[in-house]
Parts: sequence; C-alpha cells; structure tokens
Amino acid sequence: MIRAGGAGGGAGGGAGSGVSRFRTIVTVIRAGLRSNFGLATVKHRLFKEKKDRWLVWLIAASFLGVAPLFYGIAVTIQKVYGVLKPMGQEWALLSLGFLAGQFLILIFGVYYIISAFYFSRDLELLIPLPLRPSEVMAGKFAVVVVNEWLTVAAVVLPVVVTLGVVSRAGPGYWVNAALVYAALPVIPLAVVSLVVVAMMRVVNVSRKKDALILVGSILLTVLVLGIQIVLGKTAGGGGPETSAEVVAKLFASPDSLLNRIGVFFPPSIWAAKAAAGGFTAKGLANLALLWGVSLGLFAGMVGLAEMLFYRGVIGLGETTEKKRRLTRDEMSRRVTSARRAKAAIFGREWKIMNRTPIFLLNGTLVAVIFPAFFVLMATVSSGGGGRGGGAGVPIALLKAMASANPLIVTLATALFMTVCGSLNGTSSSTFSREGAQFWISRVIPVAPREQAAAKFLHSYLVAALGVVTAGAVAAIFLREKAVHLAAAAGLALAAGVLLTVVGMAIDLARPLLDWTNPQKAIKQNLNVLLAMLADIGILTAAFFGVKALIKARMGTGATLAVLFAALAAVSAASYAALMRFADKRYPTLGSNL
Amino acid sequence: MIELERVSKSYNRGQVKAVDDLTLTVKPGEIFGFLGPNGAGKTTTIKLIVGLLRPDAGRIAVEGHDVVKEPLAAKQVTTYVPDYPAVYERLTGLEYLNFIGDVYGVAKAERLERIQKWLDIFELAAAVTNPIQSYSQGMKQKIVLTAALLPAPRVMVLDEPLVGLDPRSAHQLKEMFRGHCDAGKTLFFSTHIMEVAEKLCDRIGIIHRGKLVACGTMAELKAMDRTEGGQSLEEIFLGVTET
Repeated sequence: MIRAGGAGGGAGGGAGSGVSRFRTIVTVIRAGLRSNFGLATVKHRLFKEKKDRWLVWLIAASFLGVAPLFYGIAVTIQKVYGVLKPMGQEWALLSLGFLAGQFLILIFGVYYIISAFYFSRDLELLIPLPLRPSEVMAGKFAVVVVNEWLTVAAVVLPVVVTLGVVSRAGPGYWVNAALVYAALPVIPLAVVSLVVVAMMRVVNVSRKKDALILVGSILLTVLVLGIQIVLGKTAGGGGPETSAEVVAKLFASPDSLLNRIGVFFPPSIWAAKAAAGGFTAKGLANLALLWGVSLGLFAGMVGLAEMLFYRGVIGLGETTEKKRRLTRDEMSRRVTSARRAKAAIFGREWKIMNRTPIFLLNGTLVAVIFPAFFVLMATVSSGGGGRGGGAGVPIALLKAMASANPLIVTLATALFMTVCGSLNGTSSSTFSREGAQFWISRVIPVAPREQAAAKFLHSYLVAALGVVTAGAVAAIFLREKAVHLAAAAGLALAAGVLLTVVGMAIDLARPLLDWTNPQKAIKQNLNVLLAMLADIGILTAAFFGVKALIKARMGTGATLAVLFAALAAVSAASYAALMRFADKRYPTLGSNL
Repeated sequence: MIELERVSKSYNRGQVKAVDDLTLTVKPGEIFGFLGPNGAGKTTTIKLIVGLLRPDAGRIAVEGHDVVKEPLAAKQVTTYVPDYPAVYERLTGLEYLNFIGDVYGVAKAERLERIQKWLDIFELAAAVTNPIQSYSQGMKQKIVLTAALLPAPRVMVLDEPLVGLDPRSAHQLKEMFRGHCDAGKTLFFSTHIMEVAEKLCDRIGIIHRGKLVACGTMAELKAMDRTEGGQSLEEIFLGVTET
C-alpha cells in the first residue's frame, strides 16, 4: 500500500522512540551539513586529487591581508573600553557586538531561511524518505545556524575576543561567551522561521510564487526593522528628553548603557550579561534565559513545521502558466529587432538575476539593504532610537566630523558607498550563476571579452545602485554637502570598477557551474567570500595609501584627486586584464556540461 | 561541411583516450548519423566540433573555418543541440529565442517568420510567452531545437536530438532534417536509435573506443559486414563494436 504522507503533518515512519528520533535528526543534520558544505568533495579534492591546495594558501593569504583591518578594530575597541570602564559601562560594547550579529541574522535571515527551507534541491530526496517534516526542517535549520556562525563571526568575534583579552577575563567569560555564540543565531532564526513557514503556506497556493516570495520577504524585512525601531522608541520612556537627560540616563547605573542598547533586541542583553557575568549567578541566570528562550522558540518552530512545512514546500517548484497563443501582431511586437550581442547578454543577465529570488536577494537587494542596516545600527548605537539625541550619537559625531574635516568625511562616505555597492555577490558569482546553461555562452558566436563586458556592465550597475543608495543615506541622515557627496561618489564609482573586476576575475578563475541548487551559485559560493576578502584587502591597501597622502599634507583637493587618479588608473588596467583573461579562460570552461 | 583530420582527445592527462586519430568529412547536403556504445566518444567528438572542447591533436573545420583558430566564424555558421536541454529557465521561450536571434544577428523579418514556423510545427506557440521553467522536458527540448533552427545555420550538430520528443515531434524533426540537408546544408547527429539512423541518414559513422570503426552509406556498411546475415544496422553495429 502506498500512503501519502507528510502534507498533513506527521509523516509515516521515523516516529519511533525519543532516542531513535534524536538519532534520526542527528543523521539528517549530519547529512545536511556534509552536503551543504561539500565536505566530501573538499576532502576528495584536497587530499585525494590534491587539486585545490592553492585555495588553502589563498584563503590564508586573504586572512593575512585583512589582518590590519581587524587589528584596527581591536585597537578601537580597546580605546572605547578604556573610556567606558571608569563609568561601569564597559560591557555595553559586548551588547552592541551581539546586537549587530543578531540584527544581521534577523535582516538576512528571511532570505537564508527561505532559500534553505524551500529552494534546496535535496528536498526532493528528503521528502520521500520516512522522515517527519520537523526532522527535515531541523536538519535545514542546523545548516543555516552553522552558516550564521560563520557569517557573523567577522562582526561578533572581534568584540568578544578583544573585550575578553583587555578585561583579562576568567574562564567563566570564555566558556559563557562560547555558549552564547552557539545560541546566538537560534532566536532570530527561529522567529524568522515561524513567520516564513506561515508565509510560504500562503505563497504555495498562489500562481505567482516567485513574485510573492520576493514581496513577502521584503515586507518581512521591513517589518523586522520596523519592530526593532518601535521597540527601541517605546522602551525609551515617555515624554521628550533633553540631550543632557539622555546622557545622564545612559550612565545612571552599571550596565545601563548595555540595557539601553539591547532594548532593541533583548536577547542581546541576556547574551552580553551571560558572557560578562561568567560563572556568577547573574551570568548563569542570563545564560539559562538565553538558552531557554532559544530552545522554546526552536520547539515552537518544530511544532509548526509538523503542521505547515510540507504544505508550503511540496509543489513549490511546480509552475503552471496559462497558455495563450499570440496573434500575429502581438508576436510581431514581441519579436525584437536584432540588438547588439552585448545588449542581449546584458538583458539576459538582468532578467535572470532579477527573476531568481535567491540571486536577487543575495545580490542586488544587498546593495539596498546594507545602507538600511547602517541606518538602523547607527540609530541603535545612539541608545535611544533617535530620541533625545536627535538622529543618534554616531550620526551626530559624523555630522560634527563633516563640518570639521571635509577630507575625512568624504573618504568615510566613499568607503561607505563602496562597501554598500561592492560587498555583494553579484560580480563574484556572475559566471557561476549560469551553471549548466554555460554551454550556451560557449557555443554562441560572441567573443568572450564581449560577453565579459556585458557581465561587467550588469555587476557594475548593481554596485552603482549601492553607491546611490548609500549616497541617499548620507544625504538624508548626515546632511552632507553636495560637493562632498559628489566627490565620494566619484571615488566609490572608480573603486567599484576595480572591485567588480576582482570579483569577476575570481569567479572566472574557478566558476561553480555544476550546481543543482541556485543558492549554491551565490550564497554558498566560496568565490563570494574570496572576493569579499580581496575587496577588504584592497580597501585596506587604499587606506594606507590615503594615510600616506594625508601625512604628506597635500591638501584636501589634491589628496582626493590623486586618490581618484590612482583608482581610475588601476581600475582601467584591471578591466583590460579581465578582458584578456576572459579570452583565455572561456575556451577551457564548461566542457563537461 | 564538417572536416575532422586526425583528431585526438584524451582525458586524465592522456590516460583515457576518448577520440583517437579520427578523420571524417561530412559533406554539404548530407545527414550524418554518428553511432557508438556508451562512452565510445560520440559526445566528445560533438563537443570538439562545436568548440566546447579543444582537440589535443588534429584539425577540425566547419565550412572551412578552423574551430580553434577562427572560433567565432565557425560558431556563426553552426548551431548545437546538447543531449540534455539545459536552458535559461527564468526566461520565457520567446525571450530565449530573441536572445539567440540577437547573438546570431538574425534580422527581425526572418526571425518572425522562422519562429512562427517552428513554433507551429513543434506545437509550442501557445506556451512561448511562459517561463521555460514551466515547460516539460520535451517542450524544453523543442525550444532548444527551435533556437538551433532560428539562425538557419549552414551546419547543425545535435547530440541525441530525439530523446524526450513525442512521436509526432520526432517525426517532424526528421522531416526538418531532410529539408535542412536538401537545401545543401550539413547535419551531424548522434543517436542510439538504429532504425532512425538506417532510414534517415545519408551516411553513418560508428565510433568505438574513440576510433571510427565503420563509416559509409547503408549499402557500404552492409558490404563491409562479414558476419552471416548481418544486414540490419543493429547487427552491423553489434558486429563492429564487439569487445
């Protein structure tokens, strides 16, 4: 007898005792992690085929390249610690670090959860197995948690480690910090999962699934941000306060700043107090609270999964479209006149990127969301959701800086614009995104350099979108002068060429074409990480270059002009090199497709 | 015309010889069927012709253009249909056809006429504005075939083109093959269906372990065959590819 299981919740087999269910979940998680991170392939290529060993060295070199940046961050944290300690507020930084990590997870979690829960091709293998929906979802959830540990490491670990070292923390701090770090992604991801699972149940009955997923995920992100801001404002207390009152409140008692920052997402308060408190009663109580709420939300998510998960996922990949024959006139209008090949390839890139939710969310939208995240963090750092302190302390500081030193503010804005524009996966997945369809690019009568030029234009436009969004943020929140914004945009657009070329070159050197799940082409593509490390290295090098120019006392205009000329020259040379590389590399790619 | 002169290709640093000293000419107006057991070198040969692989030795030319030295000129006169129709799933069928029309430089009038003709023949007209993602496997195969026919190429190279097609479409495709070659153009395709090769092809080549073990018209192949009563293509095939 064949039994239809799953859709109504509670699939057939695999129920068994608690122990056997636990074993099943562990097996599913282990398989998920191995498949997701390609551990077997990595092992095979590194130790059997001995092929990718150069990658290990490259990654090590990349980390060395960004070391100066992390050193700078550590020194800054140490200095701020020195200022806050006498006021008993030193652990506020810890709260800020955890909060930044959890915000990142909350904001991007919507996309991660949707792609992991609903767009993994291995679901087609997992669903027919005698597993409960909750077991499949727990496996997927674990993969996302591990991904998040890696993603937020760059934001959270420098704060945790530096504070631990400068405060000469004991074992209680380190043990609790490790446990806090392990639990850190669970609450935001579980909250997001609960909402996403419910949303996808609705989406799956619609015909326009892709559009709904996109709109739904954007709305969810806006909702998450909105809730945080409202929460922060509400917690700020009633009645208008003067700046002096706000400052007095911030430093009224030990940890008051920590509490004020963490009010935007209370688990960050528990996390900070758990680590700071170590093995004291306060530390352990906060740790228990963090873990208890994490497990409770996880259990709630698992319960919901039994009811709704399969109803949202089964049939999601199926699309039914109404068929209608075009009239001769309609067909004539829709059959285009011969466009240039470059324009055709650009159009293809644009359409495929924007119509594949996973590509759009991890590429183009990052360029828009990143500036929004900055605004939120800057507002949060003010400790009052924009209350009392106006637009927030960091923004006020930047404003003050802008009037005091136009060179610094122009450079900082250019850096902000560059980061918003270029630190996304668009350029570094441009070849990988073609996947099994790369054979088309190989057989069409279009020169590789022309194809690469069209791809460059697409990636560069996404970078330019980030520059424009960041520029808008700088104009609205920092009220920067137009001349500073224009100068910063010029620098960012020049740097954007170089960073786009670097991302494309990395992806061209080792494109990931044999994916079956689109998220592997962008979200889990090592090229995206390598490109980000390379970008950070380049920006660090530019920082030292600028430092030398400032030391030489060249004057604001001259310094900016020299920097722009240098970036433009390097960008032009790198673009020419990319074209040559494309001509050389294309004929060797995709032959096994 | 397709010319292969002493072409060799190996994998794993020479350990696996996929194509071994292959010499072959497919003349204009000819339908050439390429047969061989699994792993014999059919797909490798096809990928060499369309420029997806580079030969280790030898020369390949399409309409007189060396595929290594003049790749764009060779590609301009060739279209290719792979054994698995991996196409841009997020584009509509019509967008994909427009893309192919653009990169091959097909003018609007010809484009419109050919698109309508082949969409009608393959019964795809009602689905052409839908995303390819919503197509069945057979429909994807048909859109790839339509795209390959759109530039009206001098040379068509097809790897197992009949797989996945319903009987009506397969019949129409065979008719198209004949029409294409009657116009003096060249068609090279691989297949495992002996009846199709026997009935349709002007000449047939059989590759085994990278070597061309038999090549000629059906009559020439029958004359070559020394086995008792081995008169069908299947029996000839089994005879020349034994061990």
